[in-house]
Amino acid sequence: MTVEGLRKYFPVKKGFFKKPDWIRAVDDVTFQVFKGETLGIVGESGSGKTTLAKLILRLIDPTTGKIYFDGTDIVGVSKKELRKYRRRMGIVFQDPSASLNPRMSIEETLRRPLIVHGIKDREEVRRRVLDILQKVGLGKEHMKKYPHQLSGGQQQRVAIARAIILNPDLVVLDEPTSSLDVSIQAQILNLLVKLQHDLNLTYIFISHDLLTVRYVSDRIAVMYLGKLVEIAEADELFYNAKHPYTATLLSAAPIPNPEVRYVKRFSLVRGEPPSPINPPPGCRFHPRCPYAISRCRTKEPVLKDVGGGHYVACHRAEELDLSEYTSGLWKIITESRVS
Amino acid sequence: MSMDALARLREWIEPILQNKYSRVGFFIILFIVALAIGAPVIAPKHYAEVDPQNRLQPPSLQHLFGTDELGRDVFSRVVYGARIALWVGMLVVFIEAAIGVTLGVLAGYYGGKVDKVISAVTDMVWAFPPLVLALGVVTLIGPGLVNVVTAVAIVSWPTFTRIVRAKVQSLVNREFVLAARAIGESDLNIMLRYLLPNVIPTIIVIAALSIPSAILSTTALSFLGFGAQPPTPDWGAMVSNGMPQLPRAPWVSSFPGIFIVITCLGFNLLGDGLRDILDPKLKV
Repeated sequence: MTVEGLRKYFPVKKGFFKKPDWIRAVDDVTFQVFKGETLGIVGESGSGKTTLAKLILRLIDPTTGKIYFDGTDIVGVSKKELRKYRRRMGIVFQDPSASLNPRMSIEETLRRPLIVHGIKDREEVRRRVLDILQKVGLGKEHMKKYPHQLSGGQQQRVAIARAIILNPDLVVLDEPTSSLDVSIQAQILNLLVKLQHDLNLTYIFISHDLLTVRYVSDRIAVMYLGKLVEIAEADELFYNAKHPYTATLLSAAPIPNPEVRYVKRFSLVRGEPPSPINPPPGCRFHPRCPYAISRCRTKEPVLKDVGGGHYVACHRAEELDLSEYTSGLWKIITESRVS
Repeated sequence: MSMDALARLREWIEPILQNKYSRVGFFIILFIVALAIGAPVIAPKHYAEVDPQNRLQPPSLQHLFGTDELGRDVFSRVVYGARIALWVGMLVVFIEAAIGVTLGVLAGYYGGKVDKVISAVTDMVWAFPPLVLALGVVTLIGPGLVNVVTAVAIVSWPTFTRIVRAKVQSLVNREFVLAARAIGESDLNIMLRYLLPNVIPTIIVIAALSIPSAILSTTALSFLGFGAQPPTPDWGAMVSNGMPQLPRAPWVSSFPGIFIVITCLGFNLLGDGLRDILDPKLKV
């Protein structure tokens, strides 16, 4: 799947006669997802991750841009045509208790995708529902239950089952573990990895948690204020981040290792991200970037290939050495892997 | 009734009985319903049975609520009247809900132009004093109980539309609706399978709270002579009939009047209780 120049602006009405302002939630985003891989998308709150997820699933209409799925631009297709593509895509939301219909039993929730897409044979529907429940670690005893009778982890398993019951090619996971307990998070992550392996799924994994994203992703894309600032192979991004914003994220990641007594922390960035209504001119990161030069204030950087499929949107990507910010975290990852 | 259904019924009734007010309401309604169902057994006379010898008798053991200007037993007429009041109240609310909920779900789900048109119509109907508008409709389509029911329903559905619309708007961007669209559910299916079931508790509460005003409006129209035609024992018509004799025989008007009040009070108390149970944040 390829996303090209995708934009979504939301109008903010100020008054009856005034022109609306536009929130640039997703602004000129271009990337590719390869079959069978996991693309992680990270960014802080309000960077447009969830809007991007909804755009990809065509749950909201993009302002401009193209989304190629298997070579077809699914932005322009008719409602009827779009249905065929819906069968090949699934989505899992952040809050499982909100993503399941409170008045629909688990069995019915899982039957709906099959029935909508023309699988009407009762035996087959039942068999597939049972089969998918087993795959996500639930069983027959959960079929007659309602969402409020399940735990958060079980609810998320149902949501995953609903997303994959039609054997989709692409599954968008929008912070699938953020609202769960830490112990459950690990279970769900492992389940997702196993399902991907067994069913040959392609994932877009959206999260604000770097270590989680790294655990599941082959490649990682970093978003800031609706823009894609860096995209690279997972290890490459962690070890060799080129964008100052990525470096900031990496140096700010909590390190879950009590053995590490001292890690150099860099307060590289001050302040909050600016409003996406009137983003700063030039590079959107420049007001907070310690390395900003005059060019950053006027000219907007574009994604450039810096070798090995590593793309960065920064004017100074090649001259900056950011390794001191990333090495701490990198060390922890490699060391904790050994122990 | 199976054990399962019995258990579910208990699940419903127990919270109603726990609240002081809704408990009173529940028993009042139970009492009125019992009167309506058992009318032929409870009423000593038929509601249309005339007895010119005993006109305008005061309440006694023979005629609990006295007799009216034609010598009919007021108690029997009040008991039979419960049938009409309940039937009319529920029919009106059923029609109101059918119109109101449909429009409310459509407006809330589609938004935009659909919402604007539906909201404009709703506000227009809402702006009229309901009784005046109902009077207009009845003069247009003629008197009779069924016409009164239709008229009242036509003017009072906006309550349903407004509340259901707001409720649907709050649901439509929830993730389970997005998820439904992601699996390719049609608009109709999203409304029927995902939105409507989540609005039903609210609809039940509005329905219970709308019955009193439905009964009041229909009895008011009957009082004015548009509704039930004699000898139908409609409470509103009975109050109206007793008016000329009010100084000499107050019981003819008072007893049906008291029953109108009790019935409305019962539904209001029950409705408030249901709201506390089903949808505590609802404002009607």
